[in-house]
Amino acid sequence: MATVSLSELLGSTVYDASGAASGRVREVALAPQEDRTRVALLIVRTPAGNRMLPLTAVSGINQGVRASTAAAEWTPADGSEGLLLLSRDLLDQQVIDVHGRKVVRVNDVDFYHDVANHHAVLKVGGVDVGARGAIRRLLKGMVPAAVLRALLLRVPPRDIPWDFVDLIETDPARRVKLKISHERLAKLHPADIADIVEDLAPDEREAVFETLDEDVAAGALEELEPKVQKAVVESLDSDRAADIVEEMEPDAAADLLGDLSDERSSEILVQMQPEERQEVTDLLEFKENSAAGRMTTEYIALAVTATAEDAIEAMRTFEGRMENTSTIYLTDSHGTLAGAVPLVKIVLAPSATPLLALAQEPLISCHEDTKEKDFVELFDKYNLLTLPVIDEHNQLAGVITPDDVIAMLRAKL
Amino acid sequence: MKFLRSWKFRLLMFFAVVGPGIITANVDNDANGILTYSQAGAQFGYMLLWTMIPTTIALIVVQEMCARMGAVTGKGLSDLIREEYGLRITFLMMIGILITNFGNVVGEFVGIAGSMELFGVSRYISVPICAVIVWLIAVKGQYKSVEKVFLVASFFYITYIFAGVLSKPAWIEAVKATVKPPEMAAFRHDTYLYMVIGVVGTTIAPWMQFYLQSSVVEKGITRRQYTASRLDVIVGCIFTDVVAWFIIVACAATLYLHGIRDIRDAADAAQALRPLAGDWAYLLFALGLFNASLFAASILPLSTAYTVCEGLGFESGVGRKFSEAPAFYWLYTVLIAAGGVVVLIPGLPYIKIAVFSQVVNGAVLPGVLIFMLLLINKKELMGEYANKTTFNIIAWATTAIMIVLTLLYVYGLIRGGTG
Repeated sequence: MATVSLSELLGSTVYDASGAASGRVREVALAPQEDRTRVALLIVRTPAGNRMLPLTAVSGINQGVRASTAAAEWTPADGSEGLLLLSRDLLDQQVIDVHGRKVVRVNDVDFYHDVANHHAVLKVGGVDVGARGAIRRLLKGMVPAAVLRALLLRVPPRDIPWDFVDLIETDPARRVKLKISHERLAKLHPADIADIVEDLAPDEREAVFETLDEDVAAGALEELEPKVQKAVVESLDSDRAADIVEEMEPDAAADLLGDLSDERSSEILVQMQPEERQEVTDLLEFKENSAAGRMTTEYIALAVTATAEDAIEAMRTFEGRMENTSTIYLTDSHGTLAGAVPLVKIVLAPSATPLLALAQEPLISCHEDTKEKDFVELFDKYNLLTLPVIDEHNQLAGVITPDDVIAMLRAKL
Repeated sequence: MKFLRSWKFRLLMFFAVVGPGIITANVDNDANGILTYSQAGAQFGYMLLWTMIPTTIALIVVQEMCARMGAVTGKGLSDLIREEYGLRITFLMMIGILITNFGNVVGEFVGIAGSMELFGVSRYISVPICAVIVWLIAVKGQYKSVEKVFLVASFFYITYIFAGVLSKPAWIEAVKATVKPPEMAAFRHDTYLYMVIGVVGTTIAPWMQFYLQSSVVEKGITRRQYTASRLDVIVGCIFTDVVAWFIIVACAATLYLHGIRDIRDAADAAQALRPLAGDWAYLLFALGLFNASLFAASILPLSTAYTVCEGLGFESGVGRKFSEAPAFYWLYTVLIAAGGVVVLIPGLPYIKIAVFSQVVNGAVLPGVLIFMLLLINKKELMGEYANKTTFNIIAWATTAIMIVLTLLYVYGLIRGGTG
């Protein structure tokens, strides 16, 4: 299988069935609805106007493109509905390298070239984001082809396989027609998605957040810088924003909504499910730099009489984040905090052991209005994994998790 | 209460976006700017003041276009040129920008060397030390905190306004010269033409357009906040040109009047502040020039490296490690090192080099403006924010005038006329 690059194809002469030079290649197009990798047609600039030449009518690509049909039979190219035009839509544009987890700019596109059923087959192999593609395009037509080819052999390639390329399209209608989704991007860790999104322009960020699943979008949104986070949420419809915010950790959601204008945050709150809305509005009441402003309300609290087995069962049905189960809390019938049991102790204990027997001594907690500096000190002093927050009646109100503490400290470094 | 709230909200909106315009404008009055304006005043007295009003208008229009493009597209100017016009054009443009900006960087080191020499510090000590400081500021990611210090210190330029007033200029003559261009005959002298191109080139420098647009993007300013951002740009442009006007007036009323027509070193230029500060003039001037030079020297190489790497698709950003963005860091390092080395070569006409770099700015400017104009008029890119007719007229006129002036000057050189 031979390879050919987009920059070599563009501008090359097209000969029709009679062998007459009939035009030059202007565009190379994929029809992603049918095939994501195989080139569907070439757009040829002829004296009579732009014509579409399907690859099935190309007999070979060697020293120019050889068509098996007469130039007069080629249909006029009007519109690019459903077509991904590689020169216009891909060359020089930014794409996401899902494997390398970053945003890159396309210097050239590489194809595999083959012949099947008497016609040429071109498949996109990958995009060239390195010096090789750049030099090829800069020097094309300025030095003899053979010299250029020899020179390029010395340049190490930097190719991204087509399977790892995620396109960014800001027009929602076109996104559907071109089957552009962010399936592969969505498989990355939310923190990596966030890093990638931060490198994009606002419209492109919006496009990504409109396409991702709510829970993936929520995870990524939490990891974004507050400034970018705010901008993304402001750009989305309040309906879509509400769907995403619902999936966020309540404390992160409250921080985010607290940064928005009152009008915007109430628009989003109205669209949320009542239960999530309640959690977030409760948290919104608190000052951001107090314990209550930093705590999450997703945790496991069991009755003082519960056993290790009950705790395991509660974890199985827990819908919040896994990290939030590292400590199980015990409350009495009034909701008063009575104990904190580390997950490790529960796992190691026989299943019938009462949790109260496993509780940590002393029981460390803080009040809702405890200042950041003070509760961080508690974390440090007692080597805590999580810290329970209690209200004025000593009832458990929420839990501070280490990710919040680390983020807070890092912001101050 | 409601009134208070909305008033406060607007003020907050303004401060959320303020910065890019004012910072760009202040960096505009860098060593090259100060030296070029000083030379203009010393050589031609009030004869170049007329350039200030049209240049300010053009500066506002051009900078506003950049801020708007940044806010609407969320992309830098070099990104946009690359996406719309392909690799070859971008490559040529980046080579042009690299050469032009290198000239500017050299000018900043001329400023550093000159100002420190007024304190009696040899350039062989000051330039290497400052080059290392500048390099570290960006590499250690301290730029944002240092920026504030520079910004506050750059209000030193106000002393030029005092100096201008205290130099007892011929006010009526100065105002007249501001509103009325000289006879056409003046343009036949290529030294005069040269200075006109230099003054425009230092005021509307090509690098500023790339820098401002990137700053607007970096600050996360969007369409919604764009009105406040425009105010930031306008305030910045007016401030920078008022200062420029007073620099020219101060130099015209002192240096030109006393027959010092050719500024050979920073000490000559410092004479202009004598009416204000007497013997303290040296000190004041030296501090101001030093601050301006160091401020610009820490922005220009960085901005150049960003612009070039973004346009050509290399990894860039001080947030990345050296091994992750080698092209970016090498470019940045070489610009600073080479810029510093040029100033250490003995016997070069440093001030002339600084002024020449601004003339190159002026000659390259139309190239940048043409692309800006093409981009900002693209409906699919800018939508309803595309340029309005008035803006197009002013910006195209600026482009045309700069091309004509440059061609006239080159023609004059070829013809061999020396004025």
